[in-house]
Amino acid sequence: MVVEASRYIADGDIVMVGTGLPMVAALLALKNHAPHMCYVVETGPIAPEVIPTPTSVSDARVMYRAVRHGSLVDALGGVLQRGLADVGFLGGAQIDQFANVNSTVIGDYENPKVRLPGSGGANDIASHSKKVLIIVRHEKRRFPEHCDFITSPGYIDGPEGRKKAGIPSAYPDIVVVTDMAVMSIDKGEGRLRVDKLMPGILLEQVLENTGFKPLVAEQVDGVDPPQGSELQILREEVDPEGVYLKSAE
Amino acid sequence: MAKRTDNKVMTAAEAIDRFVFDGATVGIGGQTTGRVSMALAHEIVMQGKKDLTLSGCSMSISMDMMVGAGLVRRTEFGTGNVELFGATMRWRRAIEAGTLEIDDYSHLAMASRFLAGSLGLPFMPSKSMLGTDLLNKKSFDNGKPFEMIDNPWNPGEPVVLLPAATPDVSIIHAQQADEIGNVVIEGFSTHEPEMAKASKTVIVSCEELISPDEIRAHPDRTTIPYIYVDAVVEQPWGAYPTSCYRHYEHDGAHMRHYQACAREGGEPYDEYLQEYVYGPSTFDEYVEKAAGAERKKELHDSMMGLL
Repeated sequence: MVVEASRYIADGDIVMVGTGLPMVAALLALKNHAPHMCYVVETGPIAPEVIPTPTSVSDARVMYRAVRHGSLVDALGGVLQRGLADVGFLGGAQIDQFANVNSTVIGDYENPKVRLPGSGGANDIASHSKKVLIIVRHEKRRFPEHCDFITSPGYIDGPEGRKKAGIPSAYPDIVVVTDMAVMSIDKGEGRLRVDKLMPGILLEQVLENTGFKPLVAEQVDGVDPPQGSELQILREEVDPEGVYLKSAE
Repeated sequence: MAKRTDNKVMTAAEAIDRFVFDGATVGIGGQTTGRVSMALAHEIVMQGKKDLTLSGCSMSISMDMMVGAGLVRRTEFGTGNVELFGATMRWRRAIEAGTLEIDDYSHLAMASRFLAGSLGLPFMPSKSMLGTDLLNKKSFDNGKPFEMIDNPWNPGEPVVLLPAATPDVSIIHAQQADEIGNVVIEGFSTHEPEMAKASKTVIVSCEELISPDEIRAHPDRTTIPYIYVDAVVEQPWGAYPTSCYRHYEHDGAHMRHYQACAREGGEPYDEYLQEYVYGPSTFDEYVEKAAGAERKKELHDSMMGLL
């Protein structure tokens, strides 16, 4: 899951990174195939040489040898809203068929069943990144037809949803990488489409565990299995103490 | 309070007593597990300031503690979150119970609001939050939470206008300050420079007091000039159990303990507050109790190894 996600980062990309599995994927990309990646943290550090393994966006490990320590306005305004972020990572409790993400509330906003942390930088990342990567576990309740609350925009309600709302990044790539599959936005429909399956997973399993009915690519490939080198970097350099990998694959 | 070149050094008790009033909007410094103004927050809880509105970006333990102590009417924020350590549980439970008013924004939106305030402007445009329920929900804010306009230079392009955020008093923990209130923040500065400059009054606690000459020898390092600051509290470990860049790492063990008590609520939570907030007669005493000399050395040494 993490290895696959890291492959969507190209060398030289400017990447907005939070913590958790996105950070692990970004670090793997940095050390494996994207040494010129510019890692940007919302608290302000620009291009740090990250020391494994930060546990937060305010961790000193994510400030080490940055070119600059700035502010939130510098990072989320000056880089992200300015349109310079090639890739941004998101997570969330619900992702619907249009790749809208909910990290605010399960249930009704005014009478919530579960109050979640809120947007943080997620809405900003989803609004302004050229490519959005989402890494989550594949569970049916995580993929409803419609989010209870749209915190971060996918394609809202269709292929022109973002354009109509005036969202600056109108037609981004959105890739959802789970422990079962890779789903990407079909820009013609503005909806998620199953593109690849994780090793040992059948399409039926993916469809059973998805609350909405996704599009399915004409040719659904298997995800390329992790290379030995990718796994080695992951386990020895990126997350040697298994802070995050314990809970992932 | 005029921003004169008086000596503004005072105790946390005096600073909170003078500048934080019941019903105030308090700007919350720090970000999740980094450089949260914990000593100042403890003092607010000890003095029982109530009916507060907490305003910030990424609010964590200091906010959760004030909510848990029953002091907060409303929070306006980008997130309530302690990252790897979980959700801000007293905040979450209060929202689910309907006892806390909330105003959700994105981080960039809150930072933009503070930016407007810091520049003396009534509002700041933003291109975030478009197309989402962040612009659809009912707001508890007294005024209008946002306005949508057409870009006057590009009709048809929607732009969100966000009202300036101007807290009555902000609480910040920094690495260095001098006696007249010049502040040096090292490492990330998150939303604090804009928030401080937008606030009507500012209380800064610092790891170390430096001399005005040191400030003037390196003016490029000054994050917040003295004219914005009203009180300076010398408080080493003032961010504990969160981290302070160049001084100490966050104490995961104590944070997990707080989180466990916060998750349970009720008696375990009251016991936490009694043991670690109301009980100790000084913040130093709290840090000794929660960490102790050996742990403090570990946290300090660990941070030094990351620089």
